[in-house]
Amino acid sequence: MLSLLSQLEQSGLATWIHESGSLWGYPLILFLHTVGFGTLVGLNAAIDLRLLGFGGGIPLKSFDNTFRMMWGGFALNAVTGSLLFIADATKHATNPTFYVKLTFVAAGLFTLTRIRKNVFRASLADDASIVRQGKILGATSLGCWLIVITAARLMAYIAEYINA
Amino acid sequence: MLNSLNAEHLHLLLNHFPTVGYAVGVGLFFVALFVKSKELKQASLVIFIVMALLSLPTYLSGNAAHFALKDQAQLSESMVQAHQDAALLGLIFMELTGLLAWFELWRVRYISHPLNWSLPAVVIFSLVTFGLMARAANIGGELRHPEIGAPADATVWPQTALLAKAFVIGNPWVWPAAEIFHFIGLTMIFGTVLLVNLRLLGIISHVSFASVYRLLPWGIAGFIINFISGMLFFVAVPDQYTQNSGFARKMVLMVLAALTMIYPTVFEKVSDLKAEDTAPVQNRVIAGASIALWVAVIFFGRYLPYIGSE
Repeated sequence: MLSLLSQLEQSGLATWIHESGSLWGYPLILFLHTVGFGTLVGLNAAIDLRLLGFGGGIPLKSFDNTFRMMWGGFALNAVTGSLLFIADATKHATNPTFYVKLTFVAAGLFTLTRIRKNVFRASLADDASIVRQGKILGATSLGCWLIVITAARLMAYIAEYINA
Repeated sequence: MLNSLNAEHLHLLLNHFPTVGYAVGVGLFFVALFVKSKELKQASLVIFIVMALLSLPTYLSGNAAHFALKDQAQLSESMVQAHQDAALLGLIFMELTGLLAWFELWRVRYISHPLNWSLPAVVIFSLVTFGLMARAANIGGELRHPEIGAPADATVWPQTALLAKAFVIGNPWVWPAAEIFHFIGLTMIFGTVLLVNLRLLGIISHVSFASVYRLLPWGIAGFIINFISGMLFFVAVPDQYTQNSGFARKMVLMVLAALTMIYPTVFEKVSDLKAEDTAPVQNRVIAGASIALWVAVIFFGRYLPYIGSE
């Protein structure tokens, strides 16, 4: 397993990302990863807030066309995240924070699909049971993304601690 | 970008906005309250917002000027520190005043029900800011004009910049915690920016502009989080930022990007867009520019460690 990871890390592409020192290598991928994250989580958090009852005047249908953008943000991050992973494969694979992050990304995306199916596609009427379900899903979603952000920021610090 | 004399000149130019410009705003504001003029009140709130934005480059260029001049013998370090301490506290209250003024303008235009705290809050904060800015400007003036017989040493209470620096450097958890908050604030701002501008661009069209712009306080809250977390980074290692060409670019772009989010609060035409209405072409252009500017702010933020100093 570890040899597979180090093979990945030593591939031409990974070496270029990691070691070229080019401003259009690693930093660009990191920047795109941040834009994808801002798009997905920024829009999703706004939906969560609305579901929790903040700014009650915002109609749910404001968000109809944002689902495609959120999935676009995720697609960008699946690609850029894979590139960032292969550039430091052994370091990330031995970092428990990385798995926490991945787990809660999956949980956050799953919650988003539930929000779409159970709240947006359900009649759109302000039925009390849908409102209550929306609140639970909104709070779950916000919680997942908070954990993702925290884990993502702490990855470098934890890696330093593990490898010290 | 902010090298040697440029930084000092820039600071000497900019420092008139949070002092003279802001004093004009405070004067207008109290005249407006006295004669009960709605238009004059709105104009003075807009001045508060603009002065709060211009105070950011004013404070940051002060640190750059300090870096450029620190080998000059006639500059008293303790006076500079006193000026910085006074200026940072002034800046904090200036930003709060600007954000409260923005919130108050938004409330009057976009939500009809009255709030009994927001206008009194602007009154109190604008006065406190005025006093703090006058103090910072006074010490700054003595730095610049030793011929008027100013003292060579000074301290102010509280020593805001000094204490903030010691707090960040003395506690290893502060920097990573500020990073986490800076990314939380980023999502709050960027989500609001996307929704508001997608409505103007017509990608979201089935709802009125006003209903989407109700999200604004969420974006303003993100602004507050990122101002605090960003300033914690800056006060800890100011030279690392003032000597980085990416940082100056990020700040200029951020001021412009903020203006693209503020103008719908000020101009009535935008707030009147109903569901299915198409925004005028100039508003669509600004909306596109707004998203591009915010992405550029993220770009320079992310590139800071890689651009380094010039």
